[in-house]
Amino acid sequence: MTYLKLAWRNIWRNRRRTLITISAIVFAVLAAIVMQSMNRGSYEVMIDRMVNFNTGHLQIQDYRYDGEASLDNAFHYDETLRGRILNADPRITRVVPRVETFMLAANDVSTRGAAVFGVDPEKEQAFNQIGNYLADGRFPEAGEQTAVMGKGLADRLQLGVGDTLALIGQGRFGMSASGLFEIAGIIDHPIRDMNNSAVYLPIQAAQELLSAEDHITGLLISVQQERHTGAVAASVRNELEAEELVIFTWPELMPELLELMEMDLAMPRLLTLVLYVVIGFGFFGTVLTMTMERLREFGVLLSVGMKRISLSFVVFIETLIISAMAVAFGITLSWVLLKLIDPISLSGDAAQAVIDMGFEPIIPMSFAPDQFFIQGFYVFLIAMAVFLFPLVKILKLNILEAARS
Amino acid sequence: MTIVRTESLSKVYNPDTVPVHALRDVSIEIDESEFTALRGPSGSGKTTLLNMIGGLDKPTSGKVFIDGQEISRMKDGERIDFRLHNIGFVFQHYNLIPVFTARENVSFIMMLQNRDKREIEQRANELLDQVGLGDRKDARPAQLSGGQQQRVAVARALASQPRFILADEPTANLDTEAAMNLLDIMETMNREQNITFVFSTHDQRVIDRARRVITMVDGAISRDEAQQEYGLREG
Repeated sequence: MTYLKLAWRNIWRNRRRTLITISAIVFAVLAAIVMQSMNRGSYEVMIDRMVNFNTGHLQIQDYRYDGEASLDNAFHYDETLRGRILNADPRITRVVPRVETFMLAANDVSTRGAAVFGVDPEKEQAFNQIGNYLADGRFPEAGEQTAVMGKGLADRLQLGVGDTLALIGQGRFGMSASGLFEIAGIIDHPIRDMNNSAVYLPIQAAQELLSAEDHITGLLISVQQERHTGAVAASVRNELEAEELVIFTWPELMPELLELMEMDLAMPRLLTLVLYVVIGFGFFGTVLTMTMERLREFGVLLSVGMKRISLSFVVFIETLIISAMAVAFGITLSWVLLKLIDPISLSGDAAQAVIDMGFEPIIPMSFAPDQFFIQGFYVFLIAMAVFLFPLVKILKLNILEAARS
Repeated sequence: MTIVRTESLSKVYNPDTVPVHALRDVSIEIDESEFTALRGPSGSGKTTLLNMIGGLDKPTSGKVFIDGQEISRMKDGERIDFRLHNIGFVFQHYNLIPVFTARENVSFIMMLQNRDKREIEQRANELLDQVGLGDRKDARPAQLSGGQQQRVAVARALASQPRFILADEPTANLDTEAAMNLLDIMETMNREQNITFVFSTHDQRVIDRARRVITMVDGAISRDEAQQEYGLREG
């Protein structure tokens, strides 16, 4: 307690200097968090989209499917498997079956490549609210022989609601697969590639078309929080042990998306690094001055019997208090600021560019807790690095020289 | 009973370049309850001798015994611990912790000794009362005069209940009244509580009050006069 009191009072010996140091760190924390929050906010929307429409947070596949994405490597799916997966981890919120394949979509004169998804309409709606993106018509119900297609693809084939779509391709084990489907709805798909290629069929109709009754190519799983993905994957992996099924996380399924984000984050990270290096030197300057102007005092304290390790501990507490106060203020201030500016609305060309990519013209802020804590950790690391100077100085201090200084 | 004993103590600074012989073959004994002054001109070696006795510096050759323990051979950590429990220091520039009050400065040493909180508080109050600062216990050093700060330093030195107190030029920065006041306090403690004091000084006011005066010249002891002899001569 006495050490804490000593450290606390030492910090405020030069109030102005301490406040300037704290302000500098607060600024660095604030800038780093806001910069990261803006980036991550945009990415969270993108990941959310990709995870909901493409992969799920996690996906179960046959162990051969990753090497050869063929219907031949589909796996048997029933309510028992669904129940087992749902019970494997309480953080699992939804389990959605899909059959995916590529086929030719045709009108009466031309064909286009199409990504065909056999989905459970009710579960799919709950999973990604796909019905909310309907531009025309309706989403089919289970058991119907109808289709919904992306608006881009429909425009290219000059098809509309009520027209007939022909799907031609190959089913399971080389079976010929072709069928005619009335178009129940046109969807303005939020992912541009899928808008130009996606065709949704009720899962039973798709399985029948592809000679894959009771089989699916992927079982998509969503979890409560994205950060639970790894832990839930481990739980499901245990459940699937000794079966021919494997589980993938979304980064494993879309590594290129992750790489793209990592590349994009390189610049903000570099800026943060530069910011922290500058702040680190400022912090070091303060601690250096605090140390050098107290060498005589250190010498006296050692003379009267204070252990070097105890004296180092006091200086360590001083460094820690300064950094802890600065981090706490920085985090609080950045949280308030993010709340105030979230989301930033875009306008003009920038807004249009974002709309064209299928996103809302806003920059949403991320409030992911780890981005706040990680700044605290970085400042703690800086504090530790800065503390090395007084530590070495105290451990090597010549008592007489210090007392004479 | 002998508290401090040095045997052929020598200290040479810069032995490989320009050797400076700060101490030459110094052998002394200081008994319990002594009130001893080390005097001599600047550079005579009195502060160096004090530092050796206090375990703040190591001799080039020779030995220092405190209560029979050879501190000149102790490791750094051992010496720090030894000082904490056996030696009190009073410095020329007071050297109090500026952010602590007088009471906290005195308590701090006892806290380092891991003493009971209630005992620390009680003893700190007693010591400050003894040095006449009962009404300034909560003042910080900057709020005290030089004389008052040095009295707090004496109280701090006594707080650890040391075997003896080393005072390096304790009155050098004090006016006559403050110096005499401080000497009164130390003399009273020496007489009534048998506390041993060893001063390095060239302040005649201190020398006049000492009961033993050791004179140093060029790192060696040139005279060592007991109280009666000194008192008689001065008288």
